[in-house]
Amino acid sequence: MSGQKKRPVTQAVGACMVGWVGGGARIGAIGVAAVAMAAVQGAGADVQAQTVALTGGLVYPISSEPVEGGTVLMVEGRIAAVGADVDIPAGAEVVDVSGSVVMPGIIDAMSYYGIAGEDMNEVPNPLTPELRIIEAFAPFGTFGSGAAGEIRVRELLSGGVTATYIGPGDATVVGGQGAVVKTAGARFDDLIVRAPAAIDITLGGRPASTYRDQSRSPSTRMAVVAQLRDLLVKAQEWTAGREGGSEAGEAAAGPRNLGMEALARMLAGEIPARVQANATRDIRVAIELAEEFGFELVIDGAAGAHQMAGELADRGIPVILGPISHPYISGEEIPDAGEYGGVDERNVLWLNEAGVHVSLASFSRGFGRFGPGVAGQWLLIDASIARGHGMSEADVLRAVTLSPAEALGVADRMGSLEAGKDADVVVFDGDPLSIRTWATRVYVGGSLVYERED
Amino acid sequence: MRFTLCKVELTYGVVAATHGALAVLVGGLALAVVATAARAQEAPVALVGARIHTAAGPAIENGTIVFADGVIAAVGAGVAPPAGAEVVDVSGMVIMPGMLDNHSHIGADSRDLNEFPVRFGPQHRIRDVLSPDDDFWYGAVKGGVTTVITGPGSGEVSSGQAIVVKTWGPTIEERIVKERGGLKIAMGRKRPDQSPTTSMAVTAMLRAKFIEAQEYQAKWDAWEEGGQEGPAPPRDLGMEAVVRVLTGEDRIRAHVHQAHDILAIIRLSQEFDFSLAIHHSTEAYKVADDIAEAGIDVVGMPLFTRIALADEVMATGTLMNEMGVRFTFHTDDPVVGSKWQRGNAGLGIRYGMTEQDALEAVTINPAAIAGVEDRVGSLEVGKDADIVVLNGTWYEVSTLVTRVYVDGMLAYDREGEGP
Repeated sequence: MSGQKKRPVTQAVGACMVGWVGGGARIGAIGVAAVAMAAVQGAGADVQAQTVALTGGLVYPISSEPVEGGTVLMVEGRIAAVGADVDIPAGAEVVDVSGSVVMPGIIDAMSYYGIAGEDMNEVPNPLTPELRIIEAFAPFGTFGSGAAGEIRVRELLSGGVTATYIGPGDATVVGGQGAVVKTAGARFDDLIVRAPAAIDITLGGRPASTYRDQSRSPSTRMAVVAQLRDLLVKAQEWTAGREGGSEAGEAAAGPRNLGMEALARMLAGEIPARVQANATRDIRVAIELAEEFGFELVIDGAAGAHQMAGELADRGIPVILGPISHPYISGEEIPDAGEYGGVDERNVLWLNEAGVHVSLASFSRGFGRFGPGVAGQWLLIDASIARGHGMSEADVLRAVTLSPAEALGVADRMGSLEAGKDADVVVFDGDPLSIRTWATRVYVGGSLVYERED
Repeated sequence: MRFTLCKVELTYGVVAATHGALAVLVGGLALAVVATAARAQEAPVALVGARIHTAAGPAIENGTIVFADGVIAAVGAGVAPPAGAEVVDVSGMVIMPGMLDNHSHIGADSRDLNEFPVRFGPQHRIRDVLSPDDDFWYGAVKGGVTTVITGPGSGEVSSGQAIVVKTWGPTIEERIVKERGGLKIAMGRKRPDQSPTTSMAVTAMLRAKFIEAQEYQAKWDAWEEGGQEGPAPPRDLGMEAVVRVLTGEDRIRAHVHQAHDILAIIRLSQEFDFSLAIHHSTEAYKVADDIAEAGIDVVGMPLFTRIALADEVMATGTLMNEMGVRFTFHTDDPVVGSKWQRGNAGLGIRYGMTEQDALEAVTINPAAIAGVEDRVGSLEVGKDADIVVLNGTWYEVSTLVTRVYVDGMLAYDREGEGP
């Protein structure tokens, strides 16, 4: 990084004025202004412009109590101060957001944002820890209809989503390495927050059915677990050989093996295992494997998790739940939906009450030819439903911000409005849990990347 | 009905076992008792003190609604409960009519929805595969949906006949509001293994079938006019269903997404003079003028699937109301559970519908589209006592349905269910 004179990169994000065709019929257009986004690493004058103070709003820092009439000060892409009495530096852009709610950006803890359906599952091989989702990540690619790259970004930003976990699909056992990405940035590399962020694993009926359909192994839950355990044993042996440090050890370990290297990072605790498990028996297997091999575990899917809430709480295992209003919990295509009882939209409430670390996620995936399903932009709907069932406002908002940041290992950078964190900030025009409320301004890295005019 | 309640108790049993909420189980049992008792005694019930959205006028503050024998007897602000009535204090609560869901597959096994090998099967009836033993019925009740038009799928050019049915009641037979729920046809491309596969061929097949039905009816008319001499023409149950559409006894419910297919079905409706509602209507916004001019009804997308739809699609309800087109949402259960019909309305409001228009879009409009507005869809004297009580703003998804009455019977009571 030698060039000091980086030119600010400007890119139109979310340019979409909605017009109405059809014989002059017009209704109030939903206007989304095209917003120029400048690179954070701009020259001096640009940096100055990056000092923004949002004043007068009801601020939900998430990590602390709400502040009425608070100020959020963003300087050079980071949050500089949050509170009722914040000194605003001279020259700062002051945006009066009185009557609005200011929150950290929403984080979708599980999605397939930017991943084409055909890139989700490397079906011929059930065990592929070497695959990296980041290499299939196409945030500006075409998707569905229209200029979808931009639309896709706008779609998430319009719901206040500023970051998401992306991972391989759930048709195989070990899908590969997931990542945490932002939903806006000047360049591709700016989007990457953490890669790899986890080894993505699926237990249960889904991978078994993949291979049962092909009359090959693993076609049962037993075989899924046996193959996974076998792989983890090999990774232990491989790691032991490498760690020997001696030539003999390296010889024993053989040539480099990128899959084993990835699993070694998981076994060393650098990254967690993200295990999709919906039925209680699958969750139990995940816990047993985590104990046996000593890796950090995050459960996702977790449709039946409330039936073992106490155990999950005791072990401090974070749980990432699919869309709670959907009859099939995580999209339309969980083939083992009939294999577990107790699917209930109050799952999140019960887990939370039991002290489980819970996040809500969209699990967005393709919905036939219509486009991406259950998009992350609607995460607050799930939060609202949980609120209706009695989960506190503070807890449901945490479940879509700070809790996913923690579960994804990126809480040092996002998830709450605290000095030093990335300035990923959303302004809502009302109660964030009302279906009528819109995100009106979204900042990512201190840059205004989405603005809704109405 | 007892069958369904058993199922409900089983479901709750799981919950109770894991949360120690024994009251839940008791609640389920109590429900059964209430159901039988209410039917037996038929004493008037008065719900007192709520904000009442009647869907037939402005909201009534601090209103009372009285019903007896399954029918609404009075509704208003100054209504006194009749002597001997069971008075239920619902002050601070919100009341709305039992909602309708105009396009659902509830009650049927998904494997029974499409007879793919038969490309044109108007003789198929959803009624013949409806099961009272389907968890989704109870989901619908809990969501405040008390009447659904459930029908076969969209895989064939015609998949058969839909039916208008309540979501709760003693038996499927007793729950039927109207047998003629519309003849389902599906516009647009079909599976490539058998003709028709293109939109052109689908429309051509429909045109041919309508002509065939005209000729079929002409044969019968001739036989009737000839004094029924000689043997009657052979009956064709499929053609009978199409003839009912041509005579106005039933109407067409057309699965259609793309604009050109919407125009094609409008053309057919004018050519053969039948009554039409378009369903899904994804690109209705592109041909809104044609729709308004044709005077057809629009059953809009289940927004609550939360698939990534264009803003124009999300705002279809707003546009249709502006154009004076009768509009409703559907859930396409099980695409979205019927219980989230309220969420469709909420999203409609988010995208510009007025609260009243959105309310009508899930109550009186779908009732009128199904031709059952004389019985359901609004809270008016003489109509079925299908009533939903909520603990807050009706269209917010954080609001819970707390009580549901169907035909005056307490079909759901959240009390005792636990958090």
